[in-house]
Amino acid sequence: MSEQGAIREFLLAFADDEHLMGQQHTEWIGVAPFLEEDLAFSSIGQDELGHAAMLYELVLELDGIEPTDTAVDLLAFGRPSHAYRCCHLVEYVTEDWAEALVRHWIYDAFEEKRWHLVAGSSVPKLAAIAGKALQEEAFHRRHADALLDKLLEAPQARKRILDALEAVAPMVPGLCEAAAGEARAVAEGATAGATADLLEPLVRAIDERFGRSTAAGLTADDPADGQARRTRRSGSFEPLMARMREVLDFDPEAVW
Amino acid sequence: MHVYEVFVKKDGRDEFRHAGALEAANDELAVVLAREAYLRRAEGDRLWVVRRDHVVAAADDFVGPNADKPHRHHDGAAVAARRKASRQSQQ
Repeated sequence: MSEQGAIREFLLAFADDEHLMGQQHTEWIGVAPFLEEDLAFSSIGQDELGHAAMLYELVLELDGIEPTDTAVDLLAFGRPSHAYRCCHLVEYVTEDWAEALVRHWIYDAFEEKRWHLVAGSSVPKLAAIAGKALQEEAFHRRHADALLDKLLEAPQARKRILDALEAVAPMVPGLCEAAAGEARAVAEGATAGATADLLEPLVRAIDERFGRSTAAGLTADDPADGQARRTRRSGSFEPLMARMREVLDFDPEAVW
Repeated sequence: MHVYEVFVKKDGRDEFRHAGALEAANDELAVVLAREAYLRRAEGDRLWVVRRDHVVAAADDFVGPNADKPHRHHDGAAVAARRKASRQSQQ
């Protein structure tokens, strides 16, 4: 894989994670447990969508394509399933608020570490995006922690949170799985380290946050093939993407 | 849960202004939730939240009697009326 191709794959995995996570967070508008949380959670989702858009623009620039809105949309929504590089955690569709909250905490704990890895990237635009994203992440983390601090105190809520953690934990290793080309991206200085190295500190942070050992629950969500999850879509992906494309598909040529 | 009153300050020399209120379980959640409920479109750059039950409020009828004291208004109407009367009496 060429240097540019490697960095492209690396960025695409990052962008696809942000895109799907942002989409799923914003879907809580109107149905989160209370009004202010509707706003806060969907604002956080918007931030993630913003990160995705900036990363997709960067991918297009590497492809030598002008990053117009239409080109970004095509990249974000128009690829065949097998060309997406997101992890299964962000594909997972849930209507359970506890699961959404636990996933929010885990994803942002991971994302913050991930942005730190590219804060000094040899790709100047990526480093600039990281600077902006890290400012936003501070709020995302504070939001998730503020809710969990309160909810974990109450026995009934605590049980729901811990059940949610059990449901979500098997998808954590996939989150930390490297995109193809990552080793080359590390060698070129596009990122400072391997995504896989984030798994151990992430699991430690999860244990500390939730006050229990999650290691036992971290078995791969697909034991038959624990690797290359980023190139294979989970069962949640197709219906989610169909829903995301619903309006776009009415008239793909429409100018917005 | 507590009700928090939310105050927002724009940059520059504007004072803090009351923006609204929200319910939250504690101070931290009140600050976190107020940010996106009241400041997500850059309505200000500083934020206070104050628990409503920490506000020292005077009784409803405490200020009432001051509603009927036109002589404390500085619009000069009373003085102007007297000067006019004085002029007319000299003519």
